[in-house]
Amino acid sequence: MESARQSPGTSNGINLALAWGLVSIPLVWGIVETLVNAIKAFQ
Amino acid sequence: MSGSFLHRERTIAPLGYSRWLIPPAALCVHLCIGQVYAFSVFNLPMTKLIGITQSAPDDWKLTELGWIFSLAILFLGASAAVFGRWVEEGGPRRAMFTAALCFASGFLVSALGVYLHQLWIIYLGYGVIGGTGLGIGYISPVSTLIRWFPDRPGMATGMAIMGFGGGAFIAAPLSVWLMSRFSSPTHVGVAETFIAMGLIYLCFMMVGSAIVRVPPPGWAPANYTAAAQPRPLVTTQNVFVYDALKTPQFWLIWWILCLNVTAGIGVLGQASAMSQEMFRGQITAVAASGLVGLFSLFNMMGRFFWSSTSDYIGRKNTYFAFFALGTVLYALVPYAGAIRSVALFVLCYAVIFSMYGGGFASVPAYLRDMFGTRYVGAIHGLLLTAWSMAGIFGPVLVNYIREYNVTHGVAPAQAYNVTMYVMAGLLIIGFICNLFVRSVHERFHMRAVEAEAEVEAAPVFGSE
Repeated sequence: MESARQSPGTSNGINLALAWGLVSIPLVWGIVETLVNAIKAFQ
Repeated sequence: MSGSFLHRERTIAPLGYSRWLIPPAALCVHLCIGQVYAFSVFNLPMTKLIGITQSAPDDWKLTELGWIFSLAILFLGASAAVFGRWVEEGGPRRAMFTAALCFASGFLVSALGVYLHQLWIIYLGYGVIGGTGLGIGYISPVSTLIRWFPDRPGMATGMAIMGFGGGAFIAAPLSVWLMSRFSSPTHVGVAETFIAMGLIYLCFMMVGSAIVRVPPPGWAPANYTAAAQPRPLVTTQNVFVYDALKTPQFWLIWWILCLNVTAGIGVLGQASAMSQEMFRGQITAVAASGLVGLFSLFNMMGRFFWSSTSDYIGRKNTYFAFFALGTVLYALVPYAGAIRSVALFVLCYAVIFSMYGGGFASVPAYLRDMFGTRYVGAIHGLLLTAWSMAGIFGPVLVNYIREYNVTHGVAPAQAYNVTMYVMAGLLIIGFICNLFVRSVHERFHMRAVEAEAEVEAAPVFGSE
């Protein structure tokens, strides 16, 4: 069967940015909070 | 209407759908259910629901509250094992939707328990209903990710399971912040925090449920060609979920996971106390809590690092690395204490926790290599009973050995030495189990007729 290769369109690009932003922003916030508290603990 | 929305057929991806949307869909679920690791932030406030500033005689005890977490983990393992086949056959959207309802309901029922000050309602809410949501949610994206990423199954499942490790990083500060907003001089604010978290997690998990898709039959990524010759220890066949239980491979991997988790979970719960007792005068209580946060970060990062590495070096070699390196590192911890080297202690623990997380994250791909993709989610669900067992073995081993040593006159700084050697011994047994893992005998493979629903033949189209 012949392969039909498709590159992600613009909507795919926006969806990807939104989806990854939705999960990475809270995770990065949580990690930064943890690291800040960890650094405080050593001061 | 809702039934059709949840139906597996409705989740088949359209042409050109990017497979890179699936990891965030999985993370929407795993980042939420990973909250369970941060549940302990509620323990102390829940001991002061009546007394507010300090525990009143009618307030709940910490020992009673500890059962909430234990019940949730018990029901995680049980529901993953019981509902694994249902999850696999109904598709990821139905499973994620159900997990969202259960997990959010768990919080809402628990809020009622706090409001009425009835602990059994919280056991039922967060422990039983929420725990069931944990189990269904944990396994829901596994086989979907493996189907979307046949070229990098370790990395794909590692991303989701990394989310489970990372969920606590969001939940802990979020819970503390919400309780500070809802508390007053006459009120602790736990019930309102439970309601808020239940609603936030419901919305977040529903987003994951909405965007998840399964690949169309015969789909393969662009530029991906299945290996012409079967690779050693990577099957192209499928094994039925309950037939997997009859294979020695399932039970060897069960013990591999159980032993790796027993060693890790045993010291994870005691990391704070252990570091303070081993380095009295060097590590304070505050510094120890910072260290625990640092170790949790390595636990999370290890999930992605090791599972991705396993795509290149193979699953069996990855577990060999866990067991060989882990044995050396556990044995080094008493030496670090003896020479008072905090740096060596932190280094050993950081790598140990990265491998603890890596063990969880690499196991779905190990199962896929052994049993194929068809029932890998359900088989993974059955395997999670090893986690439940390890959750009992690990802390019991660490606590009892320490207690025995202390009551027999061993100084607290050396009380953990025997524990470390016992953990190293467990890892040697794990190494031997891994050594015996061979390909599954062909008599366990599903026949073509049985497996025809699962078409994994030539690629039809691809997208990244």
